[in-house]
Amino acid sequence: MEQIISSLQQFWQYTGFANCAWANIAMIAIGITFITVAILKEWEPLLLVPIGFGMILGNIPMFPGLNIGIYEDGSVLNILYQGVRQGWYPPLIFLGIGAMTDFSALISQPRLILIGAAAQMGIFGAYLLALLFGFMPNEAGAIGIIGGADGPTAIFLSSKLAPDLMGAIAVSAYSYMALVPVIQRPIMLALTTKKERLMKMPAPRAVTQKEKIIFPVIGFITTAFIVPSGLPLLGMLFFGNLLKESGVTRRLAETARGPLVDVITILIGITVGASTQADKFLTGKSILIFGLGLLSFVIATTCGVCFVKFINLLIRDPKKKINPLIGNAGVSAVPDAARVSEVAGREFDPSNHLLMHAMGPNVAGVIGSAVAAGILLSFLG
Amino acid sequence: MKRKLIVSIVAFLVASAAAFSQNVIDLIVAEAAPDSTQIDTYGRMSGWIEIYNTSLGTVNLGGCYLTDDRNDLKKSLIPTGYTVAKIGPRQSILFYGSGRGEDGLLYTDFTIERGETIYLVSNDGRTIVDSLVIPSTLPQGMSAQKLPVDNKGIKYYQDDKPADPTPGMRNGSQNAESGSQRMARTDPHGFILTIVAVTVVFSALAILWFLFWLLFERPAKMKANPKPAKVKKAKAGDSNAEVAAAIAMALDLDSNGDVYAAIATALHLYFNDAIHDNESFVVTIKQPSTNTGWNEKTQTFRRMPR
Repeated sequence: MEQIISSLQQFWQYTGFANCAWANIAMIAIGITFITVAILKEWEPLLLVPIGFGMILGNIPMFPGLNIGIYEDGSVLNILYQGVRQGWYPPLIFLGIGAMTDFSALISQPRLILIGAAAQMGIFGAYLLALLFGFMPNEAGAIGIIGGADGPTAIFLSSKLAPDLMGAIAVSAYSYMALVPVIQRPIMLALTTKKERLMKMPAPRAVTQKEKIIFPVIGFITTAFIVPSGLPLLGMLFFGNLLKESGVTRRLAETARGPLVDVITILIGITVGASTQADKFLTGKSILIFGLGLLSFVIATTCGVCFVKFINLLIRDPKKKINPLIGNAGVSAVPDAARVSEVAGREFDPSNHLLMHAMGPNVAGVIGSAVAAGILLSFLG
Repeated sequence: MKRKLIVSIVAFLVASAAAFSQNVIDLIVAEAAPDSTQIDTYGRMSGWIEIYNTSLGTVNLGGCYLTDDRNDLKKSLIPTGYTVAKIGPRQSILFYGSGRGEDGLLYTDFTIERGETIYLVSNDGRTIVDSLVIPSTLPQGMSAQKLPVDNKGIKYYQDDKPADPTPGMRNGSQNAESGSQRMARTDPHGFILTIVAVTVVFSALAILWFLFWLLFERPAKMKANPKPAKVKKAKAGDSNAEVAAAIAMALDLDSNGDVYAAIATALHLYFNDAIHDNESFVVTIKQPSTNTGWNEKTQTFRRMPR
């Protein structure tokens, strides 16, 4: 009998109840919130559901030394987590993004590409603020990239510059990407006049297949020569797009934008979520990172809208002026940011469709954030 | 003769491939000390050679050779089949210069002396992978070593100065400054990095804008709004308006003038590339493909029962 009680006591020590701390409960609650928001509000469900469940998975209290935790060498979760730690999930996600993105909007109106550059100011604004709050430059760079509104890029850069902060940075980036409509709309409306919001832009010209095929080749060579450190992201992005547009690699393109990107999204979501173990995640730094992440989105949106207003001052022909409501789309949250422009535009004039115009800076933002990540990596790596 | 040449080339290629098949090219003779600063497994003091793997992958040293004689590159064989001969990424391995290779895997058949050069030879026995000169003036208790060119630690150079021996440790400063530390020192507020980075991002995307404008937008605009053709002096083979009118007049002699004028004008426009066939935003019917797909793999599949 004594042996049975002793065995039960020993078993109790292995259970989650015996090892539970308030921090674990808090993180599990956050995970459940993510899942709830994703299902009820449909905010980035493809990302928030795996991340939310990963949070629960990573915060189940357990007896240490069982070699099952994500930070324990050789465990299943640890092996899956290597794709995040070593930074090879993000380029594969970029391959899928390239294979599903239509760059026609950008090719037909190349001038809109500069809006994608202006919105990257969010990255550097957050970098400066993070330095002000006492982060080391490598940490500040990893935090700043949240402003690019690009989850894979944020994971890629933070895995290289500040692996310890990666969980907080990834969750922050994906959370704010899900909240793009909530964050961007009030800023856009505050910075524009009614007259500006009603501005109609001429329909973009039709783009030929030849142009679409040349685009990824020229785009890759140009950007990769300028920022070789962005090679994994830029290379995969443009390669994926070439698979899509070449017309002769349909099966490869379908795999890249379908099963492959789905598998990697599941793995990246669940492992990033599981990496947010309470003892590593619930720190003052994480709260600061969340605050800085929000500010970076605000700066990015502000700079994008203001840049369009500035450009309009230089354009004499009123027909060629750009609606400032597409300025927010310079961040690389594709296509959410462009959708915000469309909704905001139609709110004031139901016949004013801005989606196609906003897709130009939106996809330029993907390129811009990869370039910015490359620069930060080359300076701070 | 030709066959001999081909065989020689193939043999050379195979030998080269064998030499570099395991990336032994990434190995360097990083350090060597002629004096006894290390105690070997037999408790003896002897000189030593440090081989360092500069790559990020594991390299198998088995089958390679160490020598101190340029004319005898196979002097001391490193046996194959031992895990100890595998050098991990950015790791090193020490060989004792006891002069008795039979003592074990990590012992050479020669002793290490001042004024000689230590060679690492690939497993083909011919290709010298790396070498290190031990100066004849090397002071007692010091070593000759190679130092990294930069923080990345990929390229190394031989330092002329004698160094304190560091067997099994990375040569050079152990506290190499990282990019982040350098930026914290030189740009604590981050303004310089911000200005540079913003400039590069804008420049990169501006170059893309210019290229796309030049390659795509400009030609498309020119095609949509062609410049009116200038009236030139008629030359042989020219298909300008005058030629078209001349064709029309000539044809008019035979038949209805209006018809031929229309044909000539159409030809003129066609040859001057002034016809805009591809109208933007006009739905067109795609020509049916001549490929019936009769031999496609899918045609041989059975349909799923419903």
